[in-house]
Amino acid sequence: MFRRSERARQPGRCVAIRLDGEVVNVPDTLSVAAAVLHVHGWRGYRRHLDGTPRAPLCLMGVCQECLITIDGLPNRQGCLEPVREGMVIERQGDDPHG
Amino acid sequence: MAERRHTDIAVIGAGPAGMAAALTLSEAGLRPVVFDMNATPGGQIYRQLAAPQVDATLMGQEYIAGRSLVDAFVTADIDYRPLSRVWWLDRDGEGYVLGVLQQGHSQQWHADRLILASGAMERGWPFPGWQLPGVMYAGAAQILLKQAALLPSAAPILAGSGPLLYLLAWQYLQAGRPPALVLDMAPASRYRTLMRHPVRAWHGRSYLLKGMRLIADLRRAGVAIRQGVSGLRASGSDALERIHYRHAGTWRSLPGTLLLTHFGVVPEPQLMRSLQLRQHWQHEQQCFVPDRDATLSAGTNLWIAGDGGGIGGARNAEREGHLAGFAAIASLGRQPTKRRSATTRRLLAARRRDLAARPLLDALFRVPEGWLAEQPPETLVCRCEAVTRGELDEAIAQGGSGPNQLKAFTRCGMGPCQGRQCGESVTRLLASRTRRSPDDIGYYHIRPPVHSITLGELAADDFDNTNN
Repeated sequence: MFRRSERARQPGRCVAIRLDGEVVNVPDTLSVAAAVLHVHGWRGYRRHLDGTPRAPLCLMGVCQECLITIDGLPNRQGCLEPVREGMVIERQGDDPHG
Repeated sequence: MAERRHTDIAVIGAGPAGMAAALTLSEAGLRPVVFDMNATPGGQIYRQLAAPQVDATLMGQEYIAGRSLVDAFVTADIDYRPLSRVWWLDRDGEGYVLGVLQQGHSQQWHADRLILASGAMERGWPFPGWQLPGVMYAGAAQILLKQAALLPSAAPILAGSGPLLYLLAWQYLQAGRPPALVLDMAPASRYRTLMRHPVRAWHGRSYLLKGMRLIADLRRAGVAIRQGVSGLRASGSDALERIHYRHAGTWRSLPGTLLLTHFGVVPEPQLMRSLQLRQHWQHEQQCFVPDRDATLSAGTNLWIAGDGGGIGGARNAEREGHLAGFAAIASLGRQPTKRRSATTRRLLAARRRDLAARPLLDALFRVPEGWLAEQPPETLVCRCEAVTRGELDEAIAQGGSGPNQLKAFTRCGMGPCQGRQCGESVTRLLASRTRRSPDDIGYYHIRPPVHSITLGELAADDFDNTNN
């Protein structure tokens, strides 16, 4: 997991997102992928079509390992979408999407 | 799709090169349109610098040095469009047509002139287990640090070759989360390289001193560093559990949950490739780079600035951005002002000086060309389609002689990343198996869309119109 440093500039603004059904507050500067790594870490992030577990690799829009369901739309690039208040995020950890 | 919009000049990318290009154009009275994938300007190097989450003592001066550029960019009169992906690019008369996806809505643009500043990406470097959750690029970890001051909960292990490796280790040390171990995979002959090229070493002294300072700080703090590491593997069932490395001829292993790797950066190739711009293999940088002339031009009304044109670092990217901006202004038939000519000369001289140090840095952090050919056959090369080194070798044995043939035989490079992470690995493997040069082997044919786009997005109305 990735925790927020005590050295972070304060005060940080947060937004509430619904991640796998649970409402959590995360810093508003995060991408969706970064928010998931912050809250849950890399375990259970995504399952590849071949059944193997995968998680974000590059976080800069290249590798496509951060695919995730955002507001009902599957396979979004989680590293390129900033978190927004009320955003509904579901990891694709069990159910591989096309 | 809505009607086509028009601009005199478009810039793709808002990193140091794209920001500098846009500023130069704006100062000359033009109003460029800048498309960038990210939510905030700065690219990777100056990410989040418009509203920093961490301070200079933690990130180092290089990061904070970008602040004035970012501030100037956000206050200038520039049509800056964040969260915009250019998924299609083609020639259109003397200009270019761009398909842009902005927050789920598509637009079509015609640009009379185009500056490509799409930057670099981490070099895809396959080793067994690199697809496991818990293995990430060092660059990704640094993005988390910049985005929201995020640090690993447990001490990570860093492995690879390149200046970023020690920089991240040092930043983690400053933040109170030093790495458990640094596995330095740069060639053991690095000091001989220094002795052989004293002039280059002098040109690159600021880089070298900085690197030595970082390493000295890490050692003083008791961070374990292994130099001359020549092999790397990751293992675990649902995530990383153990890291294995070869040091002084012996394989060792240790438990670990987070492995951050870095094997250098290479130009992001997709838009340049989709335009079929000529590329050549740059032996020092160990990657393909686009052909550019002295004015950074890569075609009619087209300039490439920054790391996308060859790796030169952030300061060089900024200079090239200004230079590309000046070249674009000159192409409009405007007489160069005295000030503009003087600035151009100064930038060219600084660029020459800075780039003179590059071959030394490239040599110090050279990655072994024969690496992939020696990895176990089960090593994934194409992560998206789960194609292994063994499967590629079978296809080569059956007569596959080029990247596009291997793609057709194995699906390698056909997944959502569109070959960005396996393309040069496939070129390398073919080069080493068939004893031909990378230029001779070539690269995948890249066709649009260069970003995944759904039919719904393609059909969605123009973003600005729907917001009216």
